[in-house]
Amino acid sequence: MVELILLSRLQFAITAAFHFIFVPLTLGLALLVASMETMYYRNKDETWRKMADFWGRIFKINFAVGLVSGLTLTFQFGTNWGAYAEFMGDVFGPPLAVEALLAFFLEGTFFGAWIFLDRNRQKLKTFSMWMVALGTNISSLWIITANGFMQNPVGYEMAADGSKVVMTDFFALITNGYVWYMLVHTLLSAYLLTAFLIMGICAYHFLKGNNSKVFKKSFSIAVTIALATAVILPVLGHGYSQYVTELQPAKGAAMDAIWETGSRVPMYLIQVPDSSTGSNSVQLLGIPGLASFLYTGSFSGKITGLNQLHQDELPPVGMIFWSFRLMTILGSLFIIEALLGLYLQKSGKLYTSDKYLKLLMWSIPLPYIAITAGWIVAEVGRQPWLVYGLLKTANGISSVPISDVLLSVALISTFYLILMVFEIYLIKKTVVNATGAE
Amino acid sequence: MFDFLTHDMLAVIWFFLWCVIWGVYFIADSFSLGAGLLLPFIATDEVQRTQIQSSVGPFWGGNEVWLILAAGGTFAAFPLVFSKMFTFLYLPMMLLLIGLIARGVSVEYLHKDENPRIQKAFAWGWFIGSLLISLVLGVAFANFFKGLKIASGGVYTGTLPGLFSPYALIGGVLFVFMSITSGALWINVKTEGAIAAKAGNLAKKSTLIVFILSLVYLAYSFVGIEGFTTNYSATPALYLLPVLAVVGAVLSMFFAKKGRGFPAFCSNLLTLLFIVESGLASIYPYMLKSSISPDYGIDIFEAASSHMTLSIMLGGALVFVPIVIIYQLWAYTLFKEKIKETEQIDY
Repeated sequence: MVELILLSRLQFAITAAFHFIFVPLTLGLALLVASMETMYYRNKDETWRKMADFWGRIFKINFAVGLVSGLTLTFQFGTNWGAYAEFMGDVFGPPLAVEALLAFFLEGTFFGAWIFLDRNRQKLKTFSMWMVALGTNISSLWIITANGFMQNPVGYEMAADGSKVVMTDFFALITNGYVWYMLVHTLLSAYLLTAFLIMGICAYHFLKGNNSKVFKKSFSIAVTIALATAVILPVLGHGYSQYVTELQPAKGAAMDAIWETGSRVPMYLIQVPDSSTGSNSVQLLGIPGLASFLYTGSFSGKITGLNQLHQDELPPVGMIFWSFRLMTILGSLFIIEALLGLYLQKSGKLYTSDKYLKLLMWSIPLPYIAITAGWIVAEVGRQPWLVYGLLKTANGISSVPISDVLLSVALISTFYLILMVFEIYLIKKTVVNATGAE
Repeated sequence: MFDFLTHDMLAVIWFFLWCVIWGVYFIADSFSLGAGLLLPFIATDEVQRTQIQSSVGPFWGGNEVWLILAAGGTFAAFPLVFSKMFTFLYLPMMLLLIGLIARGVSVEYLHKDENPRIQKAFAWGWFIGSLLISLVLGVAFANFFKGLKIASGGVYTGTLPGLFSPYALIGGVLFVFMSITSGALWINVKTEGAIAAKAGNLAKKSTLIVFILSLVYLAYSFVGIEGFTTNYSATPALYLLPVLAVVGAVLSMFFAKKGRGFPAFCSNLLTLLFIVESGLASIYPYMLKSSISPDYGIDIFEAASSHMTLSIMLGGALVFVPIVIIYQLWAYTLFKEKIKETEQIDY
């Protein structure tokens, strides 16, 4: 039974993480390519057409895998999380069905139209890409509405026999504060990832001495988006973490590994938490009251420590702590890189700053890592709950033979690995072969 | 919303919608599946492969969403059925999933690399994906009509080999051939040149196979499947469904022989739709029929979501399903030209 739970969780973690490698770029590039199509439609400037073509090509490669890997998640709610599906269907099913109805149809239908419409029908082509962008971005609202309920259940009551939740207020599901914090955070980080990917690819071409207008223009758009999102993310993230800490004290305390309740809690720059002793084995360079400020908005604010919470309802502290640290450190790096990029560009030194350009190339994977780390904080931090306060993860699984799950984990992982290698190969080829002149 | 409807009435309406959504999915995806089933065998070079790819390329993605809607709609309206259906049929569902992923990626990546071996691999990926999808769904639906081995207390006692009864196998093969016919006629209608002619000739044979298989399948259903006729005896008007399926098959054969691709294509879709609906009509009010005893099956009233969820979903479906259908049909009008051999598309 324990193995079955672990395997089911492993499979969900692998498939959800894999799916979310493709989603952020889809969200960001859809909007950008649509804007480029619009610019070309408006002023018939060939540079915009070339930009739409080039980034559109990358969008297509990325979109295909994002689309099919999403199916896996829908299937798994039934195959591996059957008890969860029965418990939550009344609340979780509607956002999912609405997502298909409102978002997936737009994406699927207009993605095909956008590809096959030629430049003689630029108006329709542009419209189609906007519909794709609308579809992808609306889709995130609905799936996060579903996820938001798991983090902070609202608008429901328990069925008389306690076997499932029953929806009482659909509007409350959508206006759930958790949903909106999470949605904005998710979308902004997706745009940041897109901006860094574009900057990295442009950097590659600048390094090769290819300073074509396509890449110059793309870079200046991307660096602006990168800076804006990199700055807004931590500002809003500050509010988000306060909100989370109020609702899920254990997740909040685990993010900075705060073991003992106190006010004026310091934040340590160097810290190694140890769950077995319920304390930090290393803590250095504490900044007094900073943790209190970050979590409560006041330097003397009171934070409930992990040791004062229900001990059998704690998430794995180390994993959350390190993921959160990784995310915030990377987040700071993004601000510095974006500022530097803007400065170098304005001062005209960008194209000769080889070190910075190399840094940008190597930074392409970093937002992917930061986003995955963020999801680990959000979803592992919710443990041991599957639906916070209502259903434990261990009680959500399907009772299927463990050999079946073992087989599916192996099958899907192998399959995904091949897909990933091929997709990276295709994107790399597209990038390397581009000259910016076609 | 919909307070004038009782919970049971809403459940019945949702069962009806559920049948409609599945029906739309089967007909909408059939020609992309068929194109994939035929691709490695009828396309002789990259030009013809591109013609086939371009004939379904603009449409397959939007059409596949009907399957996601069917799954999502089941989750929302009948969570218990969603859970049990996917849990009982764990491995078949995983195969279906692998098929969907393989098909999707192959259609999109078919000619993204100039290496002929990679192109060939994706052509076969499209084929295997399409075969898995049509076969698994055909076998699964035949099993739904026949009933799953659900014992008392909702305990599933079936096995994987047990799903492959002769009836289910006929169902699987029938679905594969209905898809092949759909794909062949679509290629015939949507392309020009050698490939169109080849597909048209192939359809002459495959429509005959569909006709024979659907007669066998329907006869087996009515004679050999326990409980299949119950609803038909109570409501004889339902006999219209299998009759329409057979009429479709006859017309499809007739038009294919005359070389009239489009009416033949539509007639074949008629067969596909009503084969599915004939079966679904037989299991009502069960969604998961038990082959052990009718009492052990899961019916729509037991599985349905709350009144509120069903009404919100009904409102959403009544507004948005027509909108989706309208813009999907509109998308077909955007690409009505036949695909020539000379056409080059940056796919």
